[in-house]
Amino acid sequence: MVPYLLILPGLAWILFFFLVPLLSLVATSLQKRAGTSLSEGFVPALQFSNYTSALGEYFPQFIRAFLYAGIATALALVIAYPIAYYIAFKATKYKYLMLVLVIAPFFASFLLRTNAWKTILSADGFVVETLNALSLLPEDRILNTSVAVIFGLTYNFLPFMILPLYASLDRIDPRLVEAASDLYASPATGFWRVVWPLSMPGVLGGVVLTFIPASGDYINAQLLGSTNDKMIGNVIQAQFIVLRDYPIASALSAMFMFVLLIIIVAYIRRVGTRQLV
Amino acid sequence: MTEEKRKDLSKLPPELRPFLSRRAFLAAAGVTSAAAVAAACGARTSTDVATPVDAEITTEAATGTVVWSNWTLYIDVDDAGAYPTLDKFVAAESIDVDYIEDYNDNNEFWAKMLPLLQSGQPTGRDIVSPTDWMAARWISNNYTEELDKANIPNEANLIDALRNPGFDPGRKFSLPWQSGYGGLGWNKAKLKEAIGTEDMTSVDQLFDPRLKGKIVLLTELRDTVGVVMAWQGADPTDFTTDQFMEAIDFLQTQVDNGQIQQFMGNDYAVGLENGDITAVIGWSGDLVQLGEDFGFALPETKGNLWTDNLLIPVGAANKAGAERVMNWYYDPAIAAELAAYVNYISPVKGAEVEAAAIDPALAENPLIFPTAADLEKTFIFMSLTPEQEDEYNAVWQKLLGN
Amino acid sequence: MAADLNLQRLTREFGEHTAVDHIDLIVPQGTFFALLGPSGCGKTTTLRMVAGLEEPTSGHIRLGDRDITDLPAYRRPVNTVFQNYALFPHLDVFDNVAFGLKRRKVADVKKKVSEMLELVELGKMADRKPGQLSGGQQQRVAVARALINEPAVLLLDEPLGALDLKLRRQMQIELKRIQIEVGTTFVHVTHDQEEAMSMADTVAVMNLGKIEQMGDPISVYEHPKTAFVANFLGQANLLKGDIVGEENDHLVVDVHGVKFSVPRSEAPVHDGRIVIGVRPEKITVVDPGVTTLPKNQVAATVIDSSFIGVSTQYLVESPWGQPMIAFEQNRDPTDVARPGDPVLLGWEPRHTFGLDPDEDLKAGLQESVPAL
Ligand SMILES: Nc1ncnc2c1ncn2[C@@H]1O[C@H](COP(=O)(O)OP(=O)(O)OP(=O)(O)O)[C@@H](O)[C@H]1O
Ligand SMILES: [Mg+2]
Repeated sequence: MVPYLLILPGLAWILFFFLVPLLSLVATSLQKRAGTSLSEGFVPALQFSNYTSALGEYFPQFIRAFLYAGIATALALVIAYPIAYYIAFKATKYKYLMLVLVIAPFFASFLLRTNAWKTILSADGFVVETLNALSLLPEDRILNTSVAVIFGLTYNFLPFMILPLYASLDRIDPRLVEAASDLYASPATGFWRVVWPLSMPGVLGGVVLTFIPASGDYINAQLLGSTNDKMIGNVIQAQFIVLRDYPIASALSAMFMFVLLIIIVAYIRRVGTRQLV
Repeated sequence: MTEEKRKDLSKLPPELRPFLSRRAFLAAAGVTSAAAVAAACGARTSTDVATPVDAEITTEAATGTVVWSNWTLYIDVDDAGAYPTLDKFVAAESIDVDYIEDYNDNNEFWAKMLPLLQSGQPTGRDIVSPTDWMAARWISNNYTEELDKANIPNEANLIDALRNPGFDPGRKFSLPWQSGYGGLGWNKAKLKEAIGTEDMTSVDQLFDPRLKGKIVLLTELRDTVGVVMAWQGADPTDFTTDQFMEAIDFLQTQVDNGQIQQFMGNDYAVGLENGDITAVIGWSGDLVQLGEDFGFALPETKGNLWTDNLLIPVGAANKAGAERVMNWYYDPAIAAELAAYVNYISPVKGAEVEAAAIDPALAENPLIFPTAADLEKTFIFMSLTPEQEDEYNAVWQKLLGN
Repeated sequence: MAADLNLQRLTREFGEHTAVDHIDLIVPQGTFFALLGPSGCGKTTTLRMVAGLEEPTSGHIRLGDRDITDLPAYRRPVNTVFQNYALFPHLDVFDNVAFGLKRRKVADVKKKVSEMLELVELGKMADRKPGQLSGGQQQRVAVARALINEPAVLLLDEPLGALDLKLRRQMQIELKRIQIEVGTTFVHVTHDQEEAMSMADTVAVMNLGKIEQMGDPISVYEHPKTAFVANFLGQANLLKGDIVGEENDHLVVDVHGVKFSVPRSEAPVHDGRIVIGVRPEKITVVDPGVTTLPKNQVAATVIDSSFIGVSTQYLVESPWGQPMIAFEQNRDPTDVARPGDPVLLGWEPRHTFGLDPDEDLKAGLQESVPAL
């Protein structure tokens, strides 16, 4: 009996902080307008057309959110893996210093960090001048392009990728790597056959932890992108705050959560069921 | 996206704002809280319909402290981070002021206050500082206290141009704090490089193909669409939906052909400085602060005159104290001291004379002390019905990609 | 000489500390070689250098006539059974064992792995994960995983250290059986002197990065060349004395007035001071009156006796106050001497060995596993 009692607080927590808001979100998403203007509010209803019209209207932003987040997640993985690998296996003395450095950006506000990128990516900045000198920029700028948004997402959520990767790499016994090389695996083969599969829990965690906030983000698209780079988070934000069309905003949120859930579950099932330790 | 603030210069590099206190940075971070607000909204059955509030029940006993929510960087600050004009008030009137720079965005602040106002709870503020159109929303919903002019004798110093706005004829509920223009702003060097002149006078120049991808317009509907409509020949003080849509359609073509790089809040200032942006529809105060290398002008076809207003939320705990604060800032000497710092238009008669004593150049700056001829080149954007607001906001957000 | 393992002046320094100190060593092909020594003496470091996992500071490693010193680990025909097994936790038994074959693109992996699993009696466990195996089974997977590659040398770093005593004995027999069956050179590192002696053709005793003595188990045990080896490998009574004479190829050594004979060939010095030693099981313990004793004799007093079934172990005090130990075969359990009893100890001169007089009598004592 007692063990069951002990899960009650957790259950209550889930109920109040997850289930109730979720139900309320769904209920709001089905409301209809009380009058001719939005300021007259909404009344309970079962207006499922909120979903179809929202989706019809904002389909590009939906696709863009998942596309940009997907690219940013892939980039973050490519960038974060060597960093996490280095910290886990090579940094020895400086391990904790480096971990602190990874987390350090969190101490600055998200907004300020993103604004810092504006300066870094600005036309007179080093990055753009270099890329321009190499004629690598089709639009002669980075700011207010999709590239900047994806950069921003990658940068802002990089720690979410590094930390789980580090945690799983750090748990790998370095003697396994030695065992692989003892068994005729070159360093590259040893990595792919031993380190990589053993780090899958970290890859999985990092990808999920990066993809979720990146796909829902609106700050990066707002500050670094053009009007054609807006993501679903921007739409939801504008619907809630500016337009105050709560049913549409809620319908968008609900659909976003649902699609995200499907993507994450599909991903975890695909990758996660491969042998994890 | 929502209106960001013209006064928030926290994104400028440090050398441009030697006076800038740390609080400005902290306040800048507040925008992210919009997400939290959004979440809170979702959990509510929403009715924005005015709910009459019984002031007698909700009014708390006066405490002697006035709580004031204002925009960041919108008051004089000294090197020690104190507010000199406010400190003088506290000393003179023995009323404490809790000055909070948490008014980041009209819509966001409204979203934060609305649940409290609807349920008749106190907002915890004695003064709030919405822009005209948002002040209109507060007043039309009966969410403000009527001002007791007996406590505000200096109200007589209010300039005539601002006495009878459409949303509050006779200023029964509101008083202007500062005004400013939405007009043309540019980086002189970059402009010269692109089109061979250091001056802008017309909106035509903004849409010169040689500035392709180098112009940014404000995310604030009234500034951008107002300026464009006026340029197209419509009257922003009285226009039709067709005229509004014509402006939107035009802007859409300029987005699609790449002429417009982006729509931004006050952060266009950084872009102008960095050289990412050559010209903007921007705010006068920002460009004054940016300095010599940057220009601001009201377009020949007129620019937008906006005002941020002080008003007292219904059920405020210290209404009388709030009125004393308003009175204080309508003292010309105090108004001049303030104007010298914030670089926006003072609504107070006589401030110009006082300003000349502080710095003659200041008094001569038409962007701070406009002449009647200057004000001729401005319009005050038409008041919108709730239905119009819904409709225009929707197409506007669509244009912004949201 | 085909593929003898040959270490030449092999050295490894870690900063100031020399873990392996100019080792010279030849392990003939097909032999079972045991490297024995106390913790920290450099056994693992030596093995890792042979495997290619540690770079020598100086010296050479040769395999037959090939110098493999600079060959990376994955190119060396050498495989290791790691101390903790280091099995790949994400691969099942089959894939663990097949790992080396697949890397070398050997044909017939399946058949070879099945045969190897039969050899180590794990045929039924092929699709288990290492985490689902007992310690002994894991150990056999580790052996199979290394051995299947038919290495020129198999390195085993305390492979039995994690097992309980009974399983350890069983695995010792099994390992020896496998070694004889496949005929691969085994270099086996261990703390356990019994393990080393029972399994190996050759044992090397290592101390402080150097090899103290090397040879077949019997000769090393019976004829230790240093106090360290005498103490570390089993137990020994070491007595300090002076050479006072010589008779019939034997030196006469005076220890506090008592005379003992040592074969001349067993003594490193032939005059002056010397240390002599005798292993406890060589000593006969009798009542003082008995006269049918071997030549080396000394009277003593029993301090403690413990009857442990196969034998009785005595701790006695010599006339000059030095404690000595003696093991009596348990042929007649009725005449066990009690503490305080006077006894006479006797042993054959040929069971006596001589050591350098400057030897530290206590060397190798702390770390040695008490042989009980
Ligand atoms: N990577 C290293 N860095 C510094 N010192 C080391 C390193 N590896 C080993 N040593 C030192 O070298 C010496 C020999 O170590 P080694 O591991 O070879 O001992 P061992 O004989 O295998 O001991 P054990 O029986 O405890 O396994 C020890 O003093 C050890 O501290
Ligand atoms: Mg070791």
